[in-house]
Amino acid sequence: MDRNLAHNSSPPRTRWRKVAYGGMQPGYDDNHTDESFLEGMVMNASVVKRDILKVMKDSVSISEYLCIVALVVLVWAYTLSSTLDENSLLFIDASLLVSGFLILLFTQQKLSLGLLLHYFLNICFFITSLYVLAPIYQTLTRSISSDSIWAVTASLLMLHLFLHDYSESTVKAPGALKNPALTSCISVNASVVASVFIASRLPSRLHVFAIMLFSLQVFLFAPLVTYCIKKYSFCLHLCFSIGLMAMTLSFVYMLHRFLFALLLSLLVFVNVVCPYWLIKIQEYKFEINGPWDEAKLCFDITD
Amino acid sequence: MGNKEKHTIMMVSDFFYPNFGGVENHIYYLSQCLLNLGHKVVVVTHAYENRSGVRYMTGGLKVYYIPWRPFVMQNTFPTIYGLLPIMRTILIRERITIVHGHQAFSTLCHEALMHARTMGYKVVFTDHSLYGFADVGSIHMNKVLQFTLADVSQAICVSHTSKENTVLRSGLPPEKVFVIPNAVDTAMFKPAVERPSRSEIVIVVISRLVYRKGTDLLVEVIPEICRLHPNVRFIIGGDGPKRVRLEEMREKHSLQDRVEMLGAVPHTRVQPVLISGHIFLNSSLTEAFCIAILEAASCGLLTVSTRVGGVPEVLPDDMVVLAEPDPSDMVLAIQKAISMLPKIDPQVMHNRMKELYNWQDVAKRTEIVYDHALKCSNQNLLERLSRYLSCGAWAGKLFCLVMMVGFLLWQLLEILQPADDIEEVPDVIFPHQCDEEEMQQKSSIE
Repeated sequence: MDRNLAHNSSPPRTRWRKVAYGGMQPGYDDNHTDESFLEGMVMNASVVKRDILKVMKDSVSISEYLCIVALVVLVWAYTLSSTLDENSLLFIDASLLVSGFLILLFTQQKLSLGLLLHYFLNICFFITSLYVLAPIYQTLTRSISSDSIWAVTASLLMLHLFLHDYSESTVKAPGALKNPALTSCISVNASVVASVFIASRLPSRLHVFAIMLFSLQVFLFAPLVTYCIKKYSFCLHLCFSIGLMAMTLSFVYMLHRFLFALLLSLLVFVNVVCPYWLIKIQEYKFEINGPWDEAKLCFDITD
Repeated sequence: MGNKEKHTIMMVSDFFYPNFGGVENHIYYLSQCLLNLGHKVVVVTHAYENRSGVRYMTGGLKVYYIPWRPFVMQNTFPTIYGLLPIMRTILIRERITIVHGHQAFSTLCHEALMHARTMGYKVVFTDHSLYGFADVGSIHMNKVLQFTLADVSQAICVSHTSKENTVLRSGLPPEKVFVIPNAVDTAMFKPAVERPSRSEIVIVVISRLVYRKGTDLLVEVIPEICRLHPNVRFIIGGDGPKRVRLEEMREKHSLQDRVEMLGAVPHTRVQPVLISGHIFLNSSLTEAFCIAILEAASCGLLTVSTRVGGVPEVLPDDMVVLAEPDPSDMVLAIQKAISMLPKIDPQVMHNRMKELYNWQDVAKRTEIVYDHALKCSNQNLLERLSRYLSCGAWAGKLFCLVMMVGFLLWQLLEILQPADDIEEVPDVIFPHQCDEEEMQQKSSIE
């Protein structure tokens, strides 16, 4: 019907212009649409073509962290089943601390002797307070049944993994400007609570201290260490990750066949299936830009 | 064509007097001019504080302030069906033939249009703003718009850019969307009787001081212009969260004597502020039409504006200097405007604006859209449901459900309160003497 009306109107004399002023343009209806309609529209202007190899390489840091968490759970399981005694746990703690420091020392140029001393002092405080608080942790959840503890710990770990900041580290190297996001803070807190719950199931005070120290070291500082390695050299990061994966898989294999299959399929899913999936759904990407978009300011606003 | 036929029109939007803005102005002037053309117009909006019930405005414009409280940004709380009974009563009482909704983020408008379609009325929608496609807010807004527009008879946009945007957002066929711009009351925005002296050049900015209006651009541009041109002075009218930044800039560059900040300027005081300047500066980052430019041009000011949205369509090239939303380009544009200034005669510009824009023309063009809408064929519920179903895999089914429940509720109301029991309003004949001066008076009271 609209078409008919358009045809009935007098034949166009002047060219139609894309302007709003001057009233109705003679010979054209207000719903006139010509080939200039939507000519300013741009589709998928800022879409990045992704390379599957690059996405797979990037996803390695996720599986690396998955393995770290799996190793922590392994240590928890062995400690709870009394396969690991407190002395060997303390030995693991000390060696982790030293190796972590060495890695930071090699990868970060900014470290100085004063800063190291400062770190050392902080760590002493940290260890002392943890030791003092250990009896509290030990009796904290005595009135709660073990089943609830396992369930809550498992869900907290899931939460931790989902919200973890895989691209950066929540605990920053000194001098970092950006504050961590809320989700990564929640993630760190979930992991700390999970460690406290596990520690509260252990028989002796020294056990509690050793396992808490271990868990906190890993959850707080492992992301920082892996981040530093990644920044230092991507190749080293790849080697480290693959080594870590192999180690974790072999340890899990010794513990339980089914868990091994689960972890292996998870790693395959993260490293192969997900990148392929991401590349596949890129085809459906549909971005529209045009003159109606809000203009972006080309300078930074410092409020 | 069919302008012998007289319509009874219901304008519906959350935004109306005593609130103030582009949409409110548009509805008011359009209604007045439609009344002048012999149509009957009723405006429906929500209650403003203690202003609730029926009010009459100039020329017998009847306004229903529905006792429904706004909850955020003057919008009513979306209840989907809460307004059905009162809308039905008003539609029957006033013997409405066309429902005309305004503004995409007015929930009242969306609900009224939905109910009107359920009851088989012809529906026209005017979109006054632009939306992107990327952020979460826009995506949801666009889905709601798609729902409302799936079944409108005709749609109106205020600029061609806005039309492109609306067509993309709602999936309407482009020939159903009309472009009818806003206009300006040239009688209200007259240039100064005496031409302001050119020894000192005054640049006027009147806008809300918010991010979307580009206040951050002003913060960059003003010091640079003041440095380059010692005889330039700025007058900034308006208030908002970004005012602090402007004041900081004024302190930092010690421009207190060259940048005057007026704070919020009521609409009636805009003209005196405008005529004290030579150049009007608009720094918006997004704009569907920009009435402020029209008002400034009508007062005889040369406009410098960012080239965003529908702004390039608003004025002929010799009346406006456009710049990219980038400080350095805007500085160049202002310098160009300053060099153009000796050739500008405010009175000539005002007379040109009189020819380019007037509300009577807008009303006549809207009348044509109403005629088109009335010629649309009636459709039964099943035909209409198929249109909603095509809106999306999940959304389509949800929309259909909403419409079906609405239909059932309407049928229930028909039983509980039959249409014959609703008393129709007698036609009160008001003397049609609403000329421009009276309209001006009315707005000055508001």
